[in-house]
Amino acid sequence: MSNNENLLSTIKSEWIKFRSVRSSIMGVIVFAVLTIGLGALITFAIRSHWNQNTRIDKLTFDPVSTSLAGILFAQFAVGVIGILVISSEYSSGSIRTTLAAVPNRIRLAASKLIVLMASMFVVCEIVCFIAFLTGQAIFNGVVPTASLGSGQVLRSVILAGVYLTLLTALGFGLGLILRQSAASISVFVSLLLILPILVIFLPQSWQNNFSKFEPSELGRSMMAVTPRAEAFGAWTALLVLLIYVVVVLAAGTTLLQRRDA
Amino acid sequence: MLKIDHLTKHYHDVVAVDDLDFEVKPGVVTGFLGPNGSGKSTTMRVILGLDHPTKGRATINGQNYADLKSPLREVGALLDAKAVHPGRTARNHLRALAASNQIKKSRVDEVLEFAGISSVANKKVGGFSLGMSQRLGIAGALLGDPGVLLFDEPVNGLDPEGIRWIREFFRSLAKEGRTVFVSSHLMSEMAVSADQIIVIGRGRFITQGSVDDLTATAKGTVFVRASDTQKLTALVQTHEGTVQEINDKGLTIGGMTSDQIGEVAFNGGITILELTPQRASLEEVFMDLTADSVEYGSTTLGVAHHE
Repeated sequence: MSNNENLLSTIKSEWIKFRSVRSSIMGVIVFAVLTIGLGALITFAIRSHWNQNTRIDKLTFDPVSTSLAGILFAQFAVGVIGILVISSEYSSGSIRTTLAAVPNRIRLAASKLIVLMASMFVVCEIVCFIAFLTGQAIFNGVVPTASLGSGQVLRSVILAGVYLTLLTALGFGLGLILRQSAASISVFVSLLLILPILVIFLPQSWQNNFSKFEPSELGRSMMAVTPRAEAFGAWTALLVLLIYVVVVLAAGTTLLQRRDA
Repeated sequence: MLKIDHLTKHYHDVVAVDDLDFEVKPGVVTGFLGPNGSGKSTTMRVILGLDHPTKGRATINGQNYADLKSPLREVGALLDAKAVHPGRTARNHLRALAASNQIKKSRVDEVLEFAGISSVANKKVGGFSLGMSQRLGIAGALLGDPGVLLFDEPVNGLDPEGIRWIREFFRSLAKEGRTVFVSSHLMSEMAVSADQIIVIGRGRFITQGSVDDLTATAKGTVFVRASDTQKLTALVQTHEGTVQEINDKGLTIGGMTSDQIGEVAFNGGITILELTPQRASLEEVFMDLTADSVEYGSTTLGVAHHE
């Protein structure tokens, strides 16, 4: 039996596991509702108050990021999905059953990651496109809209989905390291929410250097249609986030290899 | 065949398993007996590659567990029946296991049927009783039709009917030529369900043998009813014997065989009314063997006994 065959069967097994628990399904639903629903709510509010905006506001208005604003909330849902894929195995003890069936721990981690990222990539892209199109439909006629015909706009929407997919991978990596749902979720939320608050206490010149490295800032840079001040460009931001994810996953997999289950 | 090769496992400063070395042969049910905390579960976890040994190793048919290509086809194990994701149905749990080792989907229904849980196959495992979870664990262990089977405390949570079922099940697995390794802290359970017994205490090997071997090694006692109890007591004590118990029925004598007692009585002119060698129960043997190695022993409280 070749290794490829084994990897495929492990992936198949992890896919059955991923879609057969409510936490993944609920996580996806919460994520979709938050992204699309909040996006619709925010774009609707902007449309109904559009005439109160100043000329400058109107000129600098970004119809893309506003239609995707629900992501700010929804990003926590995708992180939790990634965390639970592994931490629920530890909390229930099923990790021992899993490892008895698949003793090759690298293969197990890889299979879980592939299933998680592939399915979440599809979900995140679909949800981001729906949120974008819903927002533009709500703006239509009153507020300036963006079109997917523009290369930058298309890139923004696609990278929004990529950002969220990478967050699930980051959550999965944290779950591998910490093995506990509560601890992993706390760290994940801290990285996205508390880190930016802490940076505010730093001197201004440091802030500018630091804040662009924050995961949430990287996300905003990836979704920006035009490059933001004091921030990375979209592709550089993607690269930096990828490095984070790889480092966390490498640490998590090394620990999985070394520790007793 | 299962081989434990000078296995030692430390958890930080705690020595859980200390130089265990034994083989578990196919065709018989081998009991793995020891008090709680004696290292049975640790040994099982090392066999399955879940915990890394500090020294030594455990092999299945000469191979490390981690090197098995499709482990579920060679080893079936039930360690902790509750170690299943509570939100998944029994069938999906087994289907995922089957998929990981390229086992046919139809096998899932076969083992569900065999374990007697077909009717709850589509129910979430979280709602299962311990007995139902044990049956699901057994179904999982059988999934790959393996030649080696490990069960850690399998009778826990089973009702009497389930216990009887599982004993017969172990026997039938062994009869088919499989290696069956069952741990328990209940000697009475091992006495009826195992052919061979390996006894450990505090992580160390104590003894190994058949149930008969183990009880034979223990010093038995002899129950005697005689015409003159007092005289016999005195005579016995002048020999090697000790009178362990006197009541209105008779004497229980240790340290002498029934032949020796008979001779002593004859020479003393005492009429023997009954002379019955008493075999130590496996339970007594076990208590004897592990008396020094109980991790969490209880001491007698200072309560007056009324006898």
